[in-house]
Amino acid sequence: MSPRTDDAWDRAPVALLRLDGDGTILDANRVLLDWVGRPAQGLRLSDLLSVGGRIYWETHLAPLLHMQGRVDEVAVELRGPDGRLPVLMSAVVHTGADGGRRVDVALSRATERSRYERELLAARTAADRSADQLRALQATTAALSQGVGTEGVARALVDVAVTHLGAATASVWLAADDGTLVRRASSGARAAEGTGVPDEPWTGAPHPRDDRDDGWAETAETVQVHAGGVVVVALGTPDAPRGTLVLSPRGDPFDVGVLTAVGQQAGLALERAERFDQKASVAHELQHALLTTHLPVDDRFSVTTEYRPGVQALEVGGDWYDAFLVDDDVLAVAVGDVVGRGLHAATAMGQLRSAVRAVAGPGVGPAELLTRLDRFVVQADVGFMATLAYAEIDLTTGVVRYACAGHLPPLRLTAGGAHEFLWDGRSTPLGVGTGRAEASAALDPGDLLVLYTDGLVERRDRSLREGLEALASAGAALLESSVAVLVTGLLERAPADLDDVCVLVATWSPTRP
Amino acid sequence: MTVLTRNNVVLSGVPDAPAIVFAHGFGCDQSMWRFVAPAFEGTHRVVLFDHVGAGGSDLSAYDPQRYGSLAGYADDVVQILAALDLGPVVFVGHSVSAMIGVLAAVRRPELFDRLVLVGPSPRYVDDVDYRGGFDAAEIDELLATMDDNYLGWSAFIAPVIMGNAGRPELGEELTNSFCRTDPAIARRFARTTFLADNRADLADVTTPALVLQCREDVIAPPEVGRYVHEHLAGSELVLLDAVGHCPNLSAPDQVVEAITAYLARVPSN
Repeated sequence: MSPRTDDAWDRAPVALLRLDGDGTILDANRVLLDWVGRPAQGLRLSDLLSVGGRIYWETHLAPLLHMQGRVDEVAVELRGPDGRLPVLMSAVVHTGADGGRRVDVALSRATERSRYERELLAARTAADRSADQLRALQATTAALSQGVGTEGVARALVDVAVTHLGAATASVWLAADDGTLVRRASSGARAAEGTGVPDEPWTGAPHPRDDRDDGWAETAETVQVHAGGVVVVALGTPDAPRGTLVLSPRGDPFDVGVLTAVGQQAGLALERAERFDQKASVAHELQHALLTTHLPVDDRFSVTTEYRPGVQALEVGGDWYDAFLVDDDVLAVAVGDVVGRGLHAATAMGQLRSAVRAVAGPGVGPAELLTRLDRFVVQADVGFMATLAYAEIDLTTGVVRYACAGHLPPLRLTAGGAHEFLWDGRSTPLGVGTGRAEASAALDPGDLLVLYTDGLVERRDRSLREGLEALASAGAALLESSVAVLVTGLLERAPADLDDVCVLVATWSPTRP
Repeated sequence: MTVLTRNNVVLSGVPDAPAIVFAHGFGCDQSMWRFVAPAFEGTHRVVLFDHVGAGGSDLSAYDPQRYGSLAGYADDVVQILAALDLGPVVFVGHSVSAMIGVLAAVRRPELFDRLVLVGPSPRYVDDVDYRGGFDAAEIDELLATMDDNYLGWSAFIAPVIMGNAGRPELGEELTNSFCRTDPAIARRFARTTFLADNRADLADVTTPALVLQCREDVIAPPEVGRYVHEHLAGSELVLLDAVGHCPNLSAPDQVVEAITAYLARVPSN
């Protein structure tokens, strides 16, 4: 094809080219020749492009032209005498006069747009980075708030480091009483094989950071970068950390800003967890001490108890039990539940338990005992709304006098496999009593009397009636075994819920050989 | 999510006939076989698919680690063939998929009857005593270009197509359907593709192979096609009278003819 001569072609404010079906340049206007600074005819369009543009043309643009007949506003770069020139390309396919395939191409300068695109790209990169940082921090906050106690927080921290902070492996080292760092949790692919997690807390000198000028310099003490990209994050304040988080990178380097915030958050979470652990530990010890008094031993009866803390029982509940002889021939058994949890509930439970022993006595009986307890609760301001099941078993006759202050009914299991809930003798919880009732029942030799707290039968997914039926049938089925097995069996069938469970089983066997 | 949904596997042709699988290269999706695959629908079971990250594949299945090397893509091919259970197949791979097919055939030779490698390159970057066509700086420039061309790349997700009077058959239905690709995945795929070196794998291939080479191709120059032919025992080389890297689009008739003739000439493995 001969060079075009019409003015419009050469005067156009854009570079124009006509290609044959192979992409070879048949014709180009003056604007293009000025831009590339050399004759273009006979070359292929991709010869005029930068290398990236060339590959882009061959792998993307040429195929698209074949399939959809045109492309619009694609950014490429021309190689010109003064370096690379960003242009926007539009191209359309048509059939030439000779029936052959032709491609008409227009290139317009895109220096401004290119700058705009770069700014847009930088803004997007910054926005992506901010979004990533925010996501990582939100995940960390959520994970740390779920961790219960020091172990739970350490566990949550290493898990979130692997799932959200880009760590291949993570381990948490916390200061022991003697000040040495002890590994408390670790996570990550290689940690499972036991090879990858650094088996030391990395207190050595860090590598000099090369990004001191990026605005994070003032936080460099919190996050130290070591050989191999291993990073040590101080948990808490850098000058007095509670421990360290040691991370090895999975791919991209860590975000120091995010890790700094994670270190501070984790420090606070650990501080809370330590206080929590201390309180929980005191409450547990107190409850343990209160419940492990000696139960009476006698040939005519046996008493077995079980206490199981709830699943997340770092906080103790207020469940309690007791058994003692009121006089030589009367055994008193009690199971109660104080409102609330924690140290407060544990102390209230202890006081109430002592009060029961103090006010019980020969000739008092269950109803009078509850009346006296009401007075104690009001006067001492302890155990308001606590519930209690109390029974006195006459060891010579098997007659049971019992009363329930807002508590679930005692269960009588007969040696023959029958069962009976003792629904009489009911009145309100302690401190709100307006009159106390009691009732009596009779035990046959070998019968069991079961007292329990609501954790054994109450569950969100079933009614109380269904819970009681389940308890009765389970109890009857287990009657063959020893009392200890019975209690364990009942507890195994109990819901694995948040609530504590307390069970007391008394047997009366006056004719025991 | 099954393998077949993950890779958007599309079946056509004769159900019990020998199977022919077409694998697209970098930059596009299975639609780039639209002028070639139909020619085999009368004689073969025809299998088309998209690599994860391209076309109608499940983008959520994209794992940077898995697809950081061509072995991950070869693994997908093996999984697809195992799931389809069509017996040994004729595998037609374009561009980077030629090498993906080579890796898959080395790993599971019993799944492959014959290979057709269109514009293959075992290494794009020059090396001592090897000319791949690019030096390392040029590949870096490619990756930088892809970063810069943010708007252009995005446009390919939903290309704006005007009416095309010259090819009315390329009508409205094609809008949004060509070469859809996630820009971030495309950048990673470019890195995986152009930094790969699979020259050593050629010696392990036992499957008969046909190499189709354009007479001019800046991505995979003729000397690279010859290198592949010389290092693939028992392979044949056919030079196409075509220019560019996508003869399946620019010279589909030649591609169909070359494959048909090869399949007739070289007996089933």
